Amino acid sequence: MNLLVVSPILIPLTAAALGLMLWRWRRLQRLAGGIGAVAGFAAAVVLVATVWRERILVTELANWPAPYGIVLVADLLSSLLVLVSAGMGLLVTVYSFASTDKRREAFGYYPLFQVLIMGINGAFLTGDLFNLYVWFEVMLMASFVLLALGGERPQLEGAIKYVTLNLIASAIFLAAVGLTYGVAGTLNLADLGDKLAETDNPGLVTTLGVLYLIAFGVKAAVFPLFFWLPSSYHTPPVAVSAIFAALLTKVGVYSMVRVFTVLFLHEPEYTYHTLILTIGVLSMITGVLGAAVQSEFRRILAFHSISQIGYMVMGLGLFTPLALAGAIIYIVHHSVVKANLFLISGLVHRRQGSHELKKIGGVYLACPALGLLFLVTAMSLAGIPPFSGFFAKLALVQAGLEAEAYIAVAAALAVGLMTLYSMTKIWTQVFWEPAPEGVTDGAAFPDDPSAGPWGMVIPVAILAAMAVALGLGAEFMFRYAMAAAEQLLAPAEYIGAVLGRPS
Amino acid sequence: MELVLAIAIGALYAAGIYLILRRSIAKLIIGLALLSHGANLLIFTAAGLERGRPPLIPEGQTEAAMPIADPLPQALILTAIVIGFSVLAFALVLFLRAFQTVGGDDLDDMRTTDT
Amino acid sequence: MLLVILVIFAVAPAAPWIHRAAPRLSGWLLAVVPAGATVYLLAQIPEVAAGNAVTAAYPWAPGMGLTLSFYLDGLSLLFGLLITGIGALVVAYTGAYLKDHPRAGWFQAYILLFMGSMLGVVLSGNLLSLFVFWELTSLTSYLLIGFDHERAAARESAWQALLVTAAGGLALLAGLVLMGVVAGTYDLETLLASEDVFREHGLYVPILLLVLIGAFTKSAQWPFHFWLPNAMEAPTPASAYLHSSTMVKAGIYLLARFNPMLGGTDLWFWLLTGFGAATMALGACMALPQNYLKRLLAYTTISALGALTMLIGMGTELALKTAMVFLLVHALYKGALFLVAGSIDHETGEKDITRLGGLRAHLPITFAAAALAALSMAGIPPFFGFMGKELMYEAVTGDVAEGAILGGLALLTNILMVTVAGLLVLRPFLGARQSTPKELHEAPVAMWLGPALLGGLGLFIGLFPGFTAANLIAPAASALLAAPVEVELVLWHGVNLPLLLSVLTLAGGAAIYWLRDGLGRLTAPLAPLTNLGPERGYELTLAGVLGFSAWQTRTLQNGYLRRYMLITVLTTIILAGGTFVTRFAGLDSIVLSEVRFYEGVLAALILLSAVFAVWTSSRLAAVAAIGVVGYAMAIIFLIYGAPDLAMTQFVIETLTVILFVLVFYHLSRFAVYAGRATQFRDAVVAITIGVLMTVFAFVATQIQFHDSIHEFFAERSLPDAHGRNFVNVILVDFRSLDTLAEIAVLAVAGLGAYSLLRLRPKRKKGS
Repeated sequence: MNLLVVSPILIPLTAAALGLMLWRWRRLQRLAGGIGAVAGFAAAVVLVATVWRERILVTELANWPAPYGIVLVADLLSSLLVLVSAGMGLLVTVYSFASTDKRREAFGYYPLFQVLIMGINGAFLTGDLFNLYVWFEVMLMASFVLLALGGERPQLEGAIKYVTLNLIASAIFLAAVGLTYGVAGTLNLADLGDKLAETDNPGLVTTLGVLYLIAFGVKAAVFPLFFWLPSSYHTPPVAVSAIFAALLTKVGVYSMVRVFTVLFLHEPEYTYHTLILTIGVLSMITGVLGAAVQSEFRRILAFHSISQIGYMVMGLGLFTPLALAGAIIYIVHHSVVKANLFLISGLVHRRQGSHELKKIGGVYLACPALGLLFLVTAMSLAGIPPFSGFFAKLALVQAGLEAEAYIAVAAALAVGLMTLYSMTKIWTQVFWEPAPEGVTDGAAFPDDPSAGPWGMVIPVAILAAMAVALGLGAEFMFRYAMAAAEQLLAPAEYIGAVLGRPS
Repeated sequence: MELVLAIAIGALYAAGIYLILRRSIAKLIIGLALLSHGANLLIFTAAGLERGRPPLIPEGQTEAAMPIADPLPQALILTAIVIGFSVLAFALVLFLRAFQTVGGDDLDDMRTTDT
Repeated sequence: MLLVILVIFAVAPAAPWIHRAAPRLSGWLLAVVPAGATVYLLAQIPEVAAGNAVTAAYPWAPGMGLTLSFYLDGLSLLFGLLITGIGALVVAYTGAYLKDHPRAGWFQAYILLFMGSMLGVVLSGNLLSLFVFWELTSLTSYLLIGFDHERAAARESAWQALLVTAAGGLALLAGLVLMGVVAGTYDLETLLASEDVFREHGLYVPILLLVLIGAFTKSAQWPFHFWLPNAMEAPTPASAYLHSSTMVKAGIYLLARFNPMLGGTDLWFWLLTGFGAATMALGACMALPQNYLKRLLAYTTISALGALTMLIGMGTELALKTAMVFLLVHALYKGALFLVAGSIDHETGEKDITRLGGLRAHLPITFAAAALAALSMAGIPPFFGFMGKELMYEAVTGDVAEGAILGGLALLTNILMVTVAGLLVLRPFLGARQSTPKELHEAPVAMWLGPALLGGLGLFIGLFPGFTAANLIAPAASALLAAPVEVELVLWHGVNLPLLLSVLTLAGGAAIYWLRDGLGRLTAPLAPLTNLGPERGYELTLAGVLGFSAWQTRTLQNGYLRRYMLITVLTTIILAGGTFVTRFAGLDSIVLSEVRFYEGVLAALILLSAVFAVWTSSRLAAVAAIGVVGYAMAIIFLIYGAPDLAMTQFVIETLTVILFVLVFYHLSRFAVYAGRATQFRDAVVAITIGVLMTVFAFVATQIQFHDSIHEFFAERSLPDAHGRNFVNVILVDFRSLDTLAEIAVLAVAGLGAYSLLRLRPKRKKGS
């Protein structure tokens, strides 16, 4: 059994358990959370490096052969996503040290955080359909609690919507898994890929695929299943919003990609080009239009997430190597940038006490460094070169035009313009426009002229630097993404590696 | 029997969804419980009904006497039951807290995060 | 070449510190960088004039076609010199203009960043890297226009400019990528060499339209011109640099650069010439009533850009040469005049020409510079501007379709140019002295050096055009035509039509200058019509989009959880049900096992309990119904050979019921909130999905692609896992990861419930 592949699950588990055992001592809980995050990140780096060499790593848990036991599969895509989750987990943990209030910390914030990371990693790495369901539930449960922790009224209201909509999705997912087993007799993804390939009833299989699409679609917040996101994302503390924005929806997107590249290849015209592409385009449009009329910092970001997910789904819908590579680049870019925007909103809130755009202002004059960090990140989201967002969009535009999906590309570009609109709206109203009457910048901390405590500023700076680095180093990201995309489009390699056959 | 059970599953889903669409959070959570049951029964039924013996090897023998029921969906449902219960328990507490904070069980009063 | 651009980009962020260190000298210090770049470019003249392009290439993202390659030929050299040369003068000028401004260093930083980006645009040898720099110019322009961000007008104008140019930019991106897809490469040198790749292709029209939208928005062609006058909110050095000499010329550069690849067709001719000529005339007309110095300059710039577009559209060899000449002419005089306007504002505090007069005595050098520039603008010999005008008349009266119309429009425009030149110089500097807010004295060296140099060049090149013609204009025109050409610039062509037109121009210009006020009174009733222009269209479009967004968000995300769930469920029904109904191939055979009596009773019990739970109004009864469902399921499990499962179900169901009772004790009675219609609708939806699930479940029992894998567990549990109960072995060994995760869920749920109950928000004072 390959411990390296298991470590993204094992390390957060240990950190969480340790944290729970140290329940009485808040400081030690922080330590456990921090060590878990650092160790997790280190393991993820080693994992990605190894997978880049070996192309795909498979671990049979307890050494039971697939498809009878559960396997963990680290291919190029899943190990990349594990790295993203570990990296974001580390940075947000550091931010949490400086920003989370003591009461939340005392009620298990850090162990919960680690369980969330564990669930996410499990979902990325698993090669078994029911196991995927279970990791989904782990992740969901941890997110339910993190969302509601603190008990403020907006949190509770948001949590109710979040919980119920996700429970419906889970019920559909479970039903789909049950139906799949009933029809195919196995739960291992690779084995399913094998067995579903030669079927004389493709319509039934496609129907199953649609059920999975809906279940994952709720998770990924695509149109028309996204409602939980704008209702709840802006209610918990900013660090929680940030890690949600970075990772939760990506698990939904990843599952869609995985399931549709290994299992449901029967009717590509219908599934991809019609269904998934349409969903992607509508998500893009709905999200960005929703964002355009919001007046609260975090709600704008929440609606935007829907729109950006639309881009990733569009990449899946186009179903060419370049399109999938674009989607992968987009996933990484969006995690970095969106989380950073949430974290920055936290820094602004700290200075001026509100998230409502009309009640804050003049941040640029008061703290140009913060303005610069926001500008870089926001322009990256809007797709302005030379930052990461431009390359993600470029890949998708190129893929779309090559595939002659002109409407999708037109929508993508128009949505990009509206994204720029929202980002500059925030810039104008928060950073350029002078603060409204009665608001003094930095009033809470008159003796502290810096942007914020180191714990909050360093993650933000690192993430902003990443947005630049991913842009300048786009070739590297592109090569990796193309390799991952090509690997995804040749499921024989995946199936062969898992089932132990030469591919 | 498959047909009969399938109808029961449909009834559970229908009742569950209907209750979820109501405005009262108490009814909502009853609906969630029914939905959960429906999903579990679905797994059980779809996997194939075998009116056979339980999947174990009795003492003193070395092989199970065929035909046995399929152990795999049973394990899956077991896991699903426990998970479903955990989620339901948390949801119950959540709804209780919401009820206490808002002062009523009408969902229409719980819209501040969207407006 | 990369080094040059990188140096500029590197120095930019340091500007604020340099300014803080040496506030008096920062302008001069920073100007060294663009001056150095100018020298570098001048040094390239011999090579380029000989017809060779200087190239360099650095990979950035070659997998996506984006190489940072540079291509320096006559066209880019001409533009490059304008960017760096005028840039150096502007940077020095800013040092004095913003001397006392607290954020002057930031301004210099933005200007330098812009300079680097603009240079990148004209030196780019790769379509995608051109786009990268193009967008960067939009971004830096935004920061510059909104520099005075405390003023709402500055913020709004900056935003408008950004949105319009960014929209154009996105269209341009689509066009460029299409070009790359069609031609298979993004490399400019390769594309320029391949004939007719685009003109013959089916996608020619979309490509052309997209590229034109990009160019027209950037270069303020009608109807995308309205952002430019509003951009005058920027501090004057920015206006002088970006919005007259460089950034707005980026679109012209694009058209010129793409002429060999996309030009030459009828569509090209009609679109460019049409819009260009219209812009040219409209810009001039709109300039006439303006009283603010910078607005006069802005509208005449729009007119000049229109003229350039028109000339490139005309496409004849003479027209293209004229375009290059006029490019240089305009940059020289307009840059000078803008800087002079800034000096006037800086020294007098006044921007309105109706309130200025007699400045000649106190600002003599500035006046001289202004006069030189104005004479060039009016096209009076022997200034360079006169040559430009003559060439334009020659081009439009030559062998060109619709030459008469073009000629007429050109005549009108040039007449108005003469008038405006008079307004710009005669009004403020001559005549009676008017009182001004500030104490008058001559501008500092840094502020008159620029205009003086630029104005002086206008005269110098007019008198000695040879060097310029051979080494700057000719290579540029050659690049446009993709073939070497010779250029001869002479002051006197003999008495011909262009000369007559020039005389007419001067006469007309002078006449309108004298009659301006009268004309103003005559046309005053028409003034409200100007509000119906494209700017209004822009505002209406934006408002429309936002209105639609608000409606959409209100409808979809209205806060009602049941609406969300209804949509989710409906989506499931439509998509899953629809897919199934349209694509399912049908069942080959139906095999039903028999229904034994007690099993049927149990199933019926489940069904009835479910219905009862819906119908009842008693909370406890509903909970009891859930319990009945659970227990009935447990018994069914027992019948079908799942004893462990049954036990678990019994236990958990009991716990569930207890938990429900505990919580419901605190909740209120069931209430019925919804009306009959809603109940009916919900019932229909619920029953539909119930039917769907029934069908799915039933089909799944009938169809089996493969035998299930459970034989493995039956065979291997005892020998390998040492367990007799297969279900247990699966849970604990074969699929132990599932169980691990399941326990984690349970733990977190417990933790969560505990935290929810114990961790309550602090009571706020007064709530």
